[in-house]
Amino acid sequence: MVAHLNTTKYWVNDMTRFVLTNGKSITKPFNKIWIILGILIVLVVFFSYFIQYDPRYIVLSELSVLFEKLFTPRGTRTWSDYFAYMLTLKDPLISTLQMSFAGTIMGSILAIPVAIFAAKNIAKYPIIYVPMRFLMNLIRTIPALILALIAVMFVGIGVLPGIIAITIFTFGIMAKMLYEVIETIDMNSYEALESTGANKIQAFRYAVFPQIFPIYISYLVYIFEINVRSSAILGYVGTEGIGSVIKDNILYNYDRVGAAIIVMFVLILTIQFISNLIRRKLQ
Amino acid sequence: MIKFVDVVKTYSNGVQALRGINLTINDGEFVAIIGLSGAGKSTLLRSINKMIPITSGKLYIDDVEISTIKGKELRMLRRSIGMIFQSFNLVKRMSVYSNVLTGRVAYHSTLKTVFGFFPKTEKLLALESLDTMGILEKAFIRADQLSGGQQQRVALARALTQQPKVILADEPVASLDPITTVQVMDDFARINRKLGITIVANMHHVDLALKYASRIIGIKDGVIVFDGTNEQINDDILVNIYGRSLKHDEVLGE
Amino acid sequence: MTKTEQILKKKPKKWITNLIFTFAIIIAIVYSFSDSRINWKRFNSVGSYLNAMLESFADIDVDFLLGTGLYRFEEGVLFLTLETLAIGFLGTLIGAILAIPFSFLASTNIVGPKFAKLGETFLIIIRVFPEIILALILVKGFGMNALTGVLTIGLHSIGMLGKMFAETIDNMDRSSIEALDAVGANVWQKIRYGIIPQIVPELSSVALYRLDINVRSATILGIIGAGGLGATMVLAASNWNWSVLGAIMLSIIVMVLVVDGISSYLRNKLV
Repeated sequence: MVAHLNTTKYWVNDMTRFVLTNGKSITKPFNKIWIILGILIVLVVFFSYFIQYDPRYIVLSELSVLFEKLFTPRGTRTWSDYFAYMLTLKDPLISTLQMSFAGTIMGSILAIPVAIFAAKNIAKYPIIYVPMRFLMNLIRTIPALILALIAVMFVGIGVLPGIIAITIFTFGIMAKMLYEVIETIDMNSYEALESTGANKIQAFRYAVFPQIFPIYISYLVYIFEINVRSSAILGYVGTEGIGSVIKDNILYNYDRVGAAIIVMFVLILTIQFISNLIRRKLQ
Repeated sequence: MIKFVDVVKTYSNGVQALRGINLTINDGEFVAIIGLSGAGKSTLLRSINKMIPITSGKLYIDDVEISTIKGKELRMLRRSIGMIFQSFNLVKRMSVYSNVLTGRVAYHSTLKTVFGFFPKTEKLLALESLDTMGILEKAFIRADQLSGGQQQRVALARALTQQPKVILADEPVASLDPITTVQVMDDFARINRKLGITIVANMHHVDLALKYASRIIGIKDGVIVFDGTNEQINDDILVNIYGRSLKHDEVLGE
Repeated sequence: MTKTEQILKKKPKKWITNLIFTFAIIIAIVYSFSDSRINWKRFNSVGSYLNAMLESFADIDVDFLLGTGLYRFEEGVLFLTLETLAIGFLGTLIGAILAIPFSFLASTNIVGPKFAKLGETFLIIIRVFPEIILALILVKGFGMNALTGVLTIGLHSIGMLGKMFAETIDNMDRSSIEALDAVGANVWQKIRYGIIPQIVPELSSVALYRLDINVRSATILGIIGAGGLGATMVLAASNWNWSVLGAIMLSIIVMVLVVDGISSYLRNKLV
């Protein structure tokens, strides 16, 4: 056993120890990449255990059947019915946009004061900014859909829980992005204002705010885009919007589900396009 | 030996960078090329290892005409020509050792090199090149954690590992501070003297060129206007090359 | 009028446009609310709900948490949390690996601007698909189990990561590739020594960020049956079972915080 270990040591040394012609020697350190790969493999094996499935339930042909059902009119309905149905989706579409819009704006506004108090360069004492950041992190861990679920439990179905969920969600993200931005700005003008006797709020309004405003709007548009995407499906848990259309029709009317998917697609693509345009102009 | 015969290079946008170059560089010389930016120095240098292909004329490297070679032949040509860049052009996140070893990739098959299997002798060669440049102890540090001068030495070590006959240098010290500049130029001189490797360098600083090179070539508007030793240079010739008297940043000073 | 007063008069009246803009936004918000039938009486009960909620949160069923006692291991929160983690992790891994070839196809540096536009469009289509819809479709083919979840997240990640990978490749520093050219390297050697060392740290950072987001998505996918905590959560919500919901939410918060922490730590080390 000992002899075996010794030869292994020499083999490893042979790979990593170099002796030059002038007598100097140098050892190559162990390549960390193998450790990382090893950990990854262990994790993959470990986690695979949890993915339990019954192979009997895998029926791939179902997928192509589903596709057909989604995108062709069912039963006695015709293609014109298919497209006419899309037009009736106008109302859920507006609900979706309403939820996203109101939620984004309110969440973003609520985020401003919290972000200010969480920024190290304005709220200089850890006792102020640490709990703020903790609060933000806590809120950010909860996905929007779950917030909507809980909101529905509290206030019933409708647009309101959607707005609440999106507001809270936006608040979490915007506050974090905002305080990170505040921490990177140039503090010189802020200090200059403070020295002229302005209080913190005034100094913020005239020194910090102009610097971050374009970035703030850019983030706002970005979050709005994310919220449109998620609010389109919040309907699945009871808020209004296209998601509830899908939930209602998922059992029998696949063609309506397909129509709803297409409408959602177009909506998200449009919003994404507009948002990219606006954000590029703000750069 | 490098030989230019009536070499012309016209870029696709119509700019004529080289207009009839005739030049012979013999083994072991230390040649410095001086001239204004845009005069054609870079084009001239890069046509030697065909990083920029010439439009017409003939270019001989060791009596082999290179305008038609491509693919594997071209790579075999380039592996015996080292190149030093102004911004070092190292692979920043790799170790110094790995960077130097890349000098040998054209000597082996794709399969071996992609998996990092170089013969032990060549690994030793890489380390010895680093030792020649005096930075052996930095071998396993990430390349971007070194100073500018050290990085250029890594680049030199990489070139040496190719066991080249010629080293081309495109403004090798333009990014370095004055003290490091002298150190790196001394390295070039040492390599040229002790190993007999031909050096062809574009120099931004005229006084450095005069101090280190045995042969000076002045280029103006794509044509060679001066080809001689550093003793033959005088101020009138310099005014001719640069079209004006030298600016202060073209002279290192002291 | 003095010169100063004249200039002051000419100053663009920004505040008018600001006022109009703010007004428009307020009107839009109010309009959004008006459409919903808000039952104001409900808000009164919110107080008592909160109380009941907090009480039940404190009363955590340990058996339920660990999957011991009356509960099967697979029903316990521990198992479900690990299952959710597994879905997020494996989905991200598969997505990241498969995204690489797609990102090459969408990168100007590799296939040229025209073809890259095509690749990008393909990736956009995958990305716009909300994950839940994707999951709904895949459930039909693969059943209501965790495998569907992994596939959903994997596919969606290909779209997300493909785009970010392509951006990384396009922003690459080309000087080292120039040097490799001068040394005589061929295409594969240039990729191995010029491109890969540069982009792997950035790609890993992007993938870790995605892992964070994907673990959260994985919790949601359970709602439609793709495995994980989602299913149990919806069941508990519709039964107003606060204690179960509380245990699950606690678990989610812990899990996300841990993943977030690890992900941030590793990403800092990579830069």
